[in-house]
Amino acid sequence: MKLTDYLKDRLTAYLIYGTSWVLVLIFMAAFRISFQAIIIVSLILLLAIIFAELWGYFRKKGYYDKLLHCLDELDKKYLLSEMTDNPDFLDGRILYEVMQETNKSMCEHIAEYRRENKEFREYIELWVHEIKLPVASVQLMCHNDNNAKYSEQLKRIDDYIENVLYYARSGNAEKDYIIKPVSLKRTFADIAVKNREELQERNITLQTDNLDIDVMTDGKWLGFILGQLMGNSMKYEASEISVTAEDFPDKTILHFRDNGCGIPESDLPYIFDKTFTGENGRTHKKSTGMGLHIVKKLCDKLGHGVAAKSIQGEYTEIIITFGKHDLHEVTKL
Amino acid sequence: MKKIMIIEDETALRDELSVLLQNSGYEPIAVTDYDNVSEQMKAAEADLILLDINLPNVNGETLLQDFRKQSDTPVIMLTSRTTEIDEVLSMSYGADDYITKPYNPTILLLRISAVLKRSAKVGAVQKFHDVEVSTVKGSLTRNGSEQILTKNEMIIFQLLLDRQDEIVTRDELMTALWDNDEFVNDNALSVNISRLRGKLTELGLPEAIETRKKQGYVLK
Repeated sequence: MKLTDYLKDRLTAYLIYGTSWVLVLIFMAAFRISFQAIIIVSLILLLAIIFAELWGYFRKKGYYDKLLHCLDELDKKYLLSEMTDNPDFLDGRILYEVMQETNKSMCEHIAEYRRENKEFREYIELWVHEIKLPVASVQLMCHNDNNAKYSEQLKRIDDYIENVLYYARSGNAEKDYIIKPVSLKRTFADIAVKNREELQERNITLQTDNLDIDVMTDGKWLGFILGQLMGNSMKYEASEISVTAEDFPDKTILHFRDNGCGIPESDLPYIFDKTFTGENGRTHKKSTGMGLHIVKKLCDKLGHGVAAKSIQGEYTEIIITFGKHDLHEVTKL
Repeated sequence: MKKIMIIEDETALRDELSVLLQNSGYEPIAVTDYDNVSEQMKAAEADLILLDINLPNVNGETLLQDFRKQSDTPVIMLTSRTTEIDEVLSMSYGADDYITKPYNPTILLLRISAVLKRSAKVGAVQKFHDVEVSTVKGSLTRNGSEQILTKNEMIIFQLLLDRQDEIVTRDELMTALWDNDEFVNDNALSVNISRLRGKLTELGLPEAIETRKKQGYVLK
């Protein structure tokens, strides 16, 4: 709080003081009071006003400077009301009360949304479990009747269902995953088997190297991530997918590379953005721009790094970095 | 014939599972009454139990926990719950495997036979007629002459042997290979089978693997 600002704010009061002083002078002159007495009275009044104003200024300055400083330092500005004390002057107390009140109301409002969001997500989870039952039944019927005609479409339905499920999970504030050692080899084989028919139909060969490594992650989430990447490779005309891992003392890096149509350099920074489809999205109809976005969100939640490299017309490589912690050793014991 | 108990409340799924198991040479026992599943599980004397988690009135995980106190019959959880937490919980309660719906039927059958084999404690050496099959060494021995099989050939031979005298489709062989990280294509499968035939011929069994046109292969 600047002194000049404060003085400007008090200008009306000073004008009133000034006018009344002029009136006092006129009256004192009219009553023929001695010149010395007038000087003394004026000085006393002036000093009193200066002291009163300075006291008022510093009292407020102390409180508001602290408030502004807090606001500046906080990364979550809405926590301000928790950080301030109740001041000892009236307008400050009113401000304090107002802040407390609005904050409380906002918290209730957020809690309401959070609850609705949670309910919606729980409903999605429940719905996904339910919709999987008929899908599973039809899949068995196809197999039992020796009718492979519908399997491919069923696989598509199942993939879309998974997308919804993991999208709901990725946006969820609660922790509903567990980190434990997961075999890259096993997870990749499961996803490969799941996609075998389509891979073989498209004549795509799989190359794996050095996948016999355990990484700290959630197995189901990793399976979904690898499934998305494989789905992309199939969609974007790859004929070979090569998956390799590099193990370092502090991390494991997984390279998921295909020789598909690649990503234009100008699109590359945006591929993890929500609903971004880019040039490949225009030339390939089934692109929704959600797959990689969900992958990125899941990786962020799990604490894995994810990056992409590509040269258009040559290759696309998605790189996932798994951290290692001492926890790894503990769970191994 | 191995008895497999199905505890699944979704009728359509239960019926199809029964058909699938029957077609694959198992005897399915389907539970239809969910009031005293626990007792039925104990009374059935099944060789393996397929157990759903979401059941009317009762939770599959609780059933399993209870069942494990008295029996070590293998249990495979079949569920639409897809979180790692559910899987870890089930495994810690003593499930032998955990498969999420919708499942690939071939994979399901492979897992069932793997779990059954594990629980039957099949030794490292199996017999095929007078041929000794060693999965540890990956070799076939007959009358003192030995043939070493590659990993792929062993996977194929093992599956044919497990289902001896039944038709095994190319699709099933392919799934089994892929499930073991051998991502072979159609041609490679044919090559592997003809090499396996060659090795069996060397052992004096040229007719062991019979081709059924458009159906698959039978080990006789």
